[in-house]
Amino acid sequence: MNTPQIVEAVLFASDAPLTPDEIARADERLDEDQVEEALQILKAEYDDAHRAFHLTEIAEGYQILTRPEFAPYLERFDNVHRPNRLSGPSLETLAIIAYRQPIGRIEIEYIRGVNSSGVIRTLQDRSLIDIVGRGNGLGRPLLYGTTQRFQEHFGFGSLDDLPRPDELPIILKDRMPLQESERSSDQEKISEKQGLGERPADEEADNHVNEASQDSGA
Amino acid sequence: MDLRFAEGAIVRDDFFLVEIDRFQGPLDLLLHLIRTQDIDVFDIPVARITDQFLQVIKGLDAEDLDSAGEFLETAATLIRIKAQMLLPHEGDDDDEDPRAQLVRRLLEYEQIREISQRMRSAEADRARRFSKGFIPARPKRLHQEMPLETTWADVLSAALSVEMPAPRQGLPRITARTISMQDKVVLILDSLQDRSGVEFSHLLKGFGDTMHGVMTFLAGLELTRQRVLFLRQSQPFSELWFYRNEEAEEGVTEDIGRIEVDT
Repeated sequence: MNTPQIVEAVLFASDAPLTPDEIARADERLDEDQVEEALQILKAEYDDAHRAFHLTEIAEGYQILTRPEFAPYLERFDNVHRPNRLSGPSLETLAIIAYRQPIGRIEIEYIRGVNSSGVIRTLQDRSLIDIVGRGNGLGRPLLYGTTQRFQEHFGFGSLDDLPRPDELPIILKDRMPLQESERSSDQEKISEKQGLGERPADEEADNHVNEASQDSGA
Repeated sequence: MDLRFAEGAIVRDDFFLVEIDRFQGPLDLLLHLIRTQDIDVFDIPVARITDQFLQVIKGLDAEDLDSAGEFLETAATLIRIKAQMLLPHEGDDDDEDPRAQLVRRLLEYEQIREISQRMRSAEADRARRFSKGFIPARPKRLHQEMPLETTWADVLSAALSVEMPAPRQGLPRITARTISMQDKVVLILDSLQDRSGVEFSHLLKGFGDTMHGVMTFLAGLELTRQRVLFLRQSQPFSELWFYRNEEAEEGVTEDIGRIEVDT
């Protein structure tokens, strides 16, 4: 048995994304690098052989998923209940949390201009966001961040798969220097949060809030 | 109030009454006003936009204070900015344009909206890729299916025992039913005076109406619930037997007669 086969067996038997680290538990002689290598081999094999599925990088891990072009065939079967598509307000709120996490309700509402407590609760019920800490402000407000399920829902391999603000066709770039600084601090936060498995420590979260509230108060 | 809108946009007042619900909030509405009129966000004509904004929110439902409050707050901000712009500048060049903060919020909101559009399409793409287990195992049968062991003779005798309803003549008459469950309870208990079991069909003898069957069956179920009886059937579709429950406590049946089924 070679490593790609072992990795394949593990992925085949799982119905959720697995990280290389998790896959490596299959055998003491395996390390993450070997698993990564095997994953790339499998990926190429599936693609070369035009399999109906591919090895997808999703939610910081890997999962075997069918190719989208087969959806019409599969959808003709009775199938397990899938989560509903999100509403406009939910998506808007999630977008804010994804870029600004950790972030509190008040700031979310400032950006959206509307009360958001109901939407936040819904997102929490659906495990797309979670409480990741408390801010320093009055009453130590709860801070929210996105979850692994959030990445699974959107098929993001990691938070880096979110559209970058500088890819967006939005006008302001060179006209408002202040936006420039906000944008770079956003990116810092995103890259710091790459390992979503580890929640930022409270202290770290507090620092971010301070930054964020300075930004919005400007 | 002079309302001039870009082509294809809003003309009549009552448009606002309906359409205010379409906007997710004051920022959404402001952006709409700005974008549909090709206004430069960095040089918003505050007076004009404020007037239009106020016109639109006239249609707000005053009872929905939560969302009305959000629109009113933004209206107040607009009016404040308008006032600030009317005031003469003190000559300080580093005074920020009173519109700057609002513009930042609008652009940020617009950006978020753009991002959420992209997320919507990512969501749709993801929904077209499936993992193992998407098509679930066939649901297990809830009940074991009984093979129907019937001979043609059984079918024939069943067919013969069905009373053909007489064809209706004239107008149907609706009459109050007079069969009470109490009567049927008494009938069942009487039949069980001197024996331990009785057939359901035996209890129906002499009564023509289907309703008697229904009421007898209901009475049987009720007595079962009260643990006076238990019901047995040796196999599906065979005779139903009512048995006296020997462990029944005395006196339980007294109330049953009062459970009058409204007939």
